[in-house]
Amino acid sequence: MEQFIYYLKVSLKGIKRAPLPYALTIFILSVGLGVFFANATFYYQLNSDPLPHKSDKLFFPMINLVPYQCTTDCRTPRVLSYSNVQKLSQSGIPTQAAAMYSADGYLRVNADQPPLPVSIRLTQRDFFTMFEVPLLHGSIWPDNSARLEVILTRASAEKLFGRTEVIGETLLLDDRNVTVSAVLDSWQMLPRLYDANNRNHLTDADDIYLPLETGYDMNYLSNSQSSTFDDTDYRQLSTQGRTGALHQLQYWVQLDTPAQQQAYRQFMHNLVMDEKAAGRHPSEPNNQLVAMQDIVSYFGGDSSDIKAFALVTLLFLLVCLFNASHLSLNRYLSNQYEFSLRRALGASRSQLQLQMLVDVLLMASFTIAGALLTGYAGIKLMNQLLPANRLFSDWDLPLLLGLLAIAVVCSYLVTLYPSLRASFGTLNQQLKE
Amino acid sequence: MSFYLLIKGLLSRKVVTALLLLQLAMTLALLLNSILLAQQTHQQLNQPTGLDLNNIVLVQLKPTTASLRVYPALEELLNRQLAAVSALPGVVAAAYSNQSAILQGGNNGNVYLDGEEGRSNQPSVPMYFVSKDFFHVFDSKLLQGELPQQSVSLDNPVQPDVVITQSLARQLFADKPAIGQQLNRGRLAAVISDFYGQRSGTNVMFNSIQVAPPFGVDWGYSILLRTAPGRADAVRQQLVQTLRAVEPNIEIFHIRTLAEQHQRLYRNEYGLAMLLAILSALMLLVTMVSSYSSTYFHALKRQQEIGIKRALGASKNTIFIELLSENWLCTAVGALLGVMLALLLNQALAQVISIPALSGYLPLITIAVLLLCVTVATWYPAAIATRVSPATATKAL
Repeated sequence: MEQFIYYLKVSLKGIKRAPLPYALTIFILSVGLGVFFANATFYYQLNSDPLPHKSDKLFFPMINLVPYQCTTDCRTPRVLSYSNVQKLSQSGIPTQAAAMYSADGYLRVNADQPPLPVSIRLTQRDFFTMFEVPLLHGSIWPDNSARLEVILTRASAEKLFGRTEVIGETLLLDDRNVTVSAVLDSWQMLPRLYDANNRNHLTDADDIYLPLETGYDMNYLSNSQSSTFDDTDYRQLSTQGRTGALHQLQYWVQLDTPAQQQAYRQFMHNLVMDEKAAGRHPSEPNNQLVAMQDIVSYFGGDSSDIKAFALVTLLFLLVCLFNASHLSLNRYLSNQYEFSLRRALGASRSQLQLQMLVDVLLMASFTIAGALLTGYAGIKLMNQLLPANRLFSDWDLPLLLGLLAIAVVCSYLVTLYPSLRASFGTLNQQLKE
Repeated sequence: MSFYLLIKGLLSRKVVTALLLLQLAMTLALLLNSILLAQQTHQQLNQPTGLDLNNIVLVQLKPTTASLRVYPALEELLNRQLAAVSALPGVVAAAYSNQSAILQGGNNGNVYLDGEEGRSNQPSVPMYFVSKDFFHVFDSKLLQGELPQQSVSLDNPVQPDVVITQSLARQLFADKPAIGQQLNRGRLAAVISDFYGQRSGTNVMFNSIQVAPPFGVDWGYSILLRTAPGRADAVRQQLVQTLRAVEPNIEIFHIRTLAEQHQRLYRNEYGLAMLLAILSALMLLVTMVSSYSSTYFHALKRQQEIGIKRALGASKNTIFIELLSENWLCTAVGALLGVMLALLLNQALAQVISIPALSGYLPLITIAVLLLCVTVATWYPAAIATRVSPATATKAL
């Protein structure tokens, strides 16, 4: 410990002797690492896997069951019709399955209250177990049939009632009475991979949940994507929407084993071939079964701005490292006489290297503080300039530890060559300079 | 001052010179690509839209009760709202529409000549269902035919007449007569001048308009107002109160001019260009620090050499120019490497974002900027080095 304090004192003396080069080195490293930290935060969070233990078991099936002969764009539609989902649900192969879409609505506790605009997820009961949504009060719907029962998020319940124990309370959802059957605990799946179409995975979770069948009965249209491939009147969702080629549903299945996955692929193939044979769709089959971990890139929803900026910030960090090494080299060469004198008085090279390590520690401490400040400012700036990614700007412990480790490694690299050069030169020559 | 000696001087500090060259090259590469991206964003923001962006105000809104979203209550609401906003001072014309112009995506579909879908189909053409003053709000020029004067319901057995923009007409009919032709959406009544529709469409200027009440307003609807020049702000301040006085059960999502709408559409590109510009400025700063410290330290180490040169008759100016020349030479070599690196970076960036290819005079301008920054950064330490007295030379003896 005594020796460590001695090394620390020597380091501080060295800084006092030439404060400007040292301050510039810290400044440049802090800026380089800070900018890198800011972008790394977005990159890490955007590419994180919210369900790492099952993201390779959840699949998004898409089939080309549409009543037209494709000529130019033969991609499989990204959303399914109600009847497509019904056909895909008949296999019995998936462990769990849920169809869904989202819509906008207005919620009030009673007719006299001002309406609260809400985003509604219209889905089926397996959604909550598939995506591990935590339940605070009440129970999830017992089956997938239509029922005028809503599930509220904790935030919505608190906003409407000022409390969370609201099971059995009634609400007006777009002029219809609905009953609260459950309240979810605080939950935010980021990125929201179950809704990756149209880059919705970057947005907040929905405010309330309603059974899919009720959504169709209440004529809720998707607020994300709905396409009609025939004469279906989309205002008649409860009738024509269930039979016509109105596509707006996403469908997720949980296939736990490779055998299940293979069986489901085969089922999809058979289904499409049977439909084609029956003359119900003229296009060539083009089935897709995309795993949740690949869904964002399948839909082309990768954040290209963050990727481009990542490339550039990496380049900037390299420039800052070169620059800091350059400054550090100048600083060590200025102190070379002192190094050489200590060597001449009996200090071993390993002792000089220990001195260097204390220098690194000190530099890393200053750099980390500066980099965290710059990184924080960088994140605020990026939130202003690229607001679509604002939900992905939080630091968590693994990210922070990783970033700190990078800062220490960079400080070490910056000091390594200059200190080796100062420690390993020809003693006579160095003392003469 | 000899070129050979300058090279020799740089080579005597190989590591420092190499580090400086790398920095200069990377700075130039980043600077060049940032300028390219900024140029592209500038072009996107200044591309013609066919619209008087500053004098058209957009209100996006939706009834909050389900009963107001169905006909006939909806049509009655739309007409009351139009009458109220039209009466506002400064409003030249007002119209409702199922959606605004200048959007990323929205309500769109196929347009083709009846019976010739395979040959003439144009996918993702925005579909506007509007009131008749829509063309007046957009100040559209009538190029062929006659604009529909009556609103016809989309549920009518005979579809309402269709108006299309010039680019779409050219694509569908080339030079053949267009008016009266039957499209999949109805009879073509008129061709108007182009305006910017949806960015995700095959052509941003393809648009199809029908004078009809919107099919539904589940996604909300737009009220578009043309204001007298310079009156847009005054009008927008009165809109919330006016619309709420007509019907309190509405949600107003936003009120903005089409100029603001246009800026929001390219917000990501603008944000990325700004970030790269800030990063380029930081990189230039870092390079300036590096050039400064390199010259300062180098001059400090060569005090005796400078003293000898001064004693042998070198003027202060010669020493000054010599030190600057070293940096200029270093910058020139770094810049050459930088142009090559810029090409590589440009290709790498083109994999993830849309960025124009590197070409033309831009590298020369960027090199000049870099040279200027390096000169500014080395000026002070070079000037200090000239103050070395010739007497310093005696210390070397």
